[in-house]
Amino acid sequence: MSGAGSQATGELAVRTPATNGKAYANPYVAGVLLGLLLFASIAIAGRGLGASGGFTVAGTAALAAVAPEHVAQHPYLSEWAPGGPIAALTDWSLLELVGIVVGALLSSRIAGRRQSAVEHTLDESSASRLAQAVIGGALLGVGARLARGCTSGLGLTGGALMSTGAWIFIPVAFGTAFATAFMLRRIASTGIAAAVPLRN
Amino acid sequence: MPALPVDVGPWLALPIGVAFGAILERAGLGSARTISRQLSFADWTVVKVMFSAIVTAMLALYWSEQLGWLELSRVAMPETDVVPQLLGALVFGVGFAMASLCPGTACVSAASGRRDGLAALTGIAVGSMVTAELWPALGQAAVNNPRSAATLSSDLGVPAGVVVLGISVLAIGAFVVAARMEGPSSANGNASIRQFVGSKPILVVLTLALLASLRRESGGSRAALAGIAAEISREADHVDPIVLADWIRERRPNLRVIEVVESPADIDPNDYVIPGSSAVTLSAITSLEASGNDTIVLYSAGGTHAAQAWVLLRARNVQPVFVLRDGLAAWEDEVLAPSAPSDSSAVALARYKHARELQLWFGGTVTDQGSVWSAPVQTTRPGKPARRRRNTC
Repeated sequence: MSGAGSQATGELAVRTPATNGKAYANPYVAGVLLGLLLFASIAIAGRGLGASGGFTVAGTAALAAVAPEHVAQHPYLSEWAPGGPIAALTDWSLLELVGIVVGALLSSRIAGRRQSAVEHTLDESSASRLAQAVIGGALLGVGARLARGCTSGLGLTGGALMSTGAWIFIPVAFGTAFATAFMLRRIASTGIAAAVPLRN
Repeated sequence: MPALPVDVGPWLALPIGVAFGAILERAGLGSARTISRQLSFADWTVVKVMFSAIVTAMLALYWSEQLGWLELSRVAMPETDVVPQLLGALVFGVGFAMASLCPGTACVSAASGRRDGLAALTGIAVGSMVTAELWPALGQAAVNNPRSAATLSSDLGVPAGVVVLGISVLAIGAFVVAARMEGPSSANGNASIRQFVGSKPILVVLTLALLASLRRESGGSRAALAGIAAEISREADHVDPIVLADWIRERRPNLRVIEVVESPADIDPNDYVIPGSSAVTLSAITSLEASGNDTIVLYSAGGTHAAQAWVLLRARNVQPVFVLRDGLAAWEDEVLAPSAPSDSSAVALARYKHARELQLWFGGTVTDQGSVWSAPVQTTRPGKPARRRRNTC
C-alpha cells in the first residue's frame, strides 16, 4: 500500500494512508488496544476517555482569565473552571486533550504520516473543505455540549459502561451522519472520496 | 471491598491521552478521509475500531466487577438526559458529516499537520463556548430530565449480563456487515464470514458475553439494587390484607403465602397463621425454590423479617413477590376484625361490607368493642383455628 496520489481515478484500496507513510494498523487490533486503554482508565482512575470536555474547560479558562465575574456567576460556565483559569491547567479533561495532541504528533511523525496539508473528502477546493471543517466543527461543539459528550466520552466510555444516554447517542449521531453525508455527496455530485490526493 | 478505582489525581490523564492519541492515529482515525469513507460505507475502520473498543472495555469492566476487583459506583458515569442528548446527537451527526472529524479525531488530525483538522478544532471550540454561554437560555433543550447513572440494564429492566450479550452480538453483526461491504480488500483478508465468526477472538467474546447473560444472581450490581429500591419507593412491594384475603378465598393459582421466621424454634403450633401459609426461616429464604409462576406473599409477626426476606428474594430476581402491608397486625385489624368505618360514604360502607364477608370466611368475629379480636367458636374454613400471636418480628 503506497501513496494514494499515484492513482488517478477509481477505487482506492481500503485504508491507504493519504501520505506516503506507513500503512495503518489493523482496526480490530487498534480497537482492542483502545478498549484496554479505556478499561484501564476507568478501572484505575474512575474516569473514561473523553475529548469534548477539554474544549469547554480550555474555553472557560480563557474566558475566566478576561471576565472572571461573568464566569463565576454563570450557572453553567462556573462549573467548568471552578478553581479559576490557573487551576484549569491541571484539569483532567484538559490534560487528556494535551496528551491526545502529543500522542498523535509522535505517532504520525514516527510513521512518516505527518504532513502539513488539507485533507479533502470530496473533489473540492481547499477553501470549501476548510469552510466545511469550521462549520461542521461548530455543530460538533454544539451537539457535544447538548449531548454531554462526543464519540469518545459518550460513544466509547458511555458505550462500554452501557449508559442509556450513550446508546441513544450512538445510533442517532451515526445515523444522522450517514444520512447527511449521503445528501452532501448528492449535492456535490461525486461518489465516494476516491483518489483525491492531498493538496496545499 | 474492591480495590479499584483509586484516587490518582489529574496527571494520569496525560499518559492516557498520549496513548489515546497514538492509537487513534495508528488506526487512521486522524484522517478525515478515513472517516468520510466510513460515512459512505466504503471503509469500515471507524465502526471496527469503535465497536472493538467498546466490547473489549465492556467485557473487561463487567467481569472485573463480577469478580470483585472493581467498584463501579466509584466510576464517573455519563449523565443521561434523553431530550437534550437526542437533539445533541442530531446536531453532532450533521457536524460529523460536514467536518468528517469529531473532537478527538480533530485533535489527531491537527497534530498530524492537517489544516482542516485545525479548522475543525476552531469550530468545535467556538460551538462549545457559544452553547455553554447560552446554556441558561436554552431551557429544556439543554436540561430536561437529567439522571445521573441510568444504564440500559436499569432502564430496560434487564440484567446487565443480557445487555452485555446484546451489545456483543450487535458488534459482531456490524463486523460481518463491514466485511461484506468492504469486499476482498477488507482487513479480514479473504476469510469467509463463517471463518471470521469462528475465529478465536470472536469466540472468546461470545463466550464471555454468553456467560455474562447466564449469571442470574447479579444482585450485587448497582442497577439491580437501584431497581429494587425504586419498587420500594413506589410501594410496588406491598399487598393489602384485603387483597391477600381475596386471593386466598378465590384460590388464586400458584399463590404462596410464606411466614418468615427467624428460626424453627419460633414456630409454635398454637400461634395463628394465615390459612394456607408455610413457615420459612430467613436463612432458608436465600435458597428458596421459586418458579416464575408463583405469586409469593411474605408476612411476619412484626413485618421486619418479611421485609428483609423481600429484599433477599428480589435480589435473586425472584418475582412477583410482595410483603403484606403492616404485617399480621393489619391482617387481624382489617380481615379478622374489621371495624365499622368512620365516614358513611358509599365507598367506605362497601369496603366494610366486603371486609365483613372476608372476616366470616376466615373465621374471625367482631365484638361490640370494635376491633378486638377473639377466638371463634368453630370454623370449617381452610386454615387453622385462631390462636394467639407469635412474639417475634
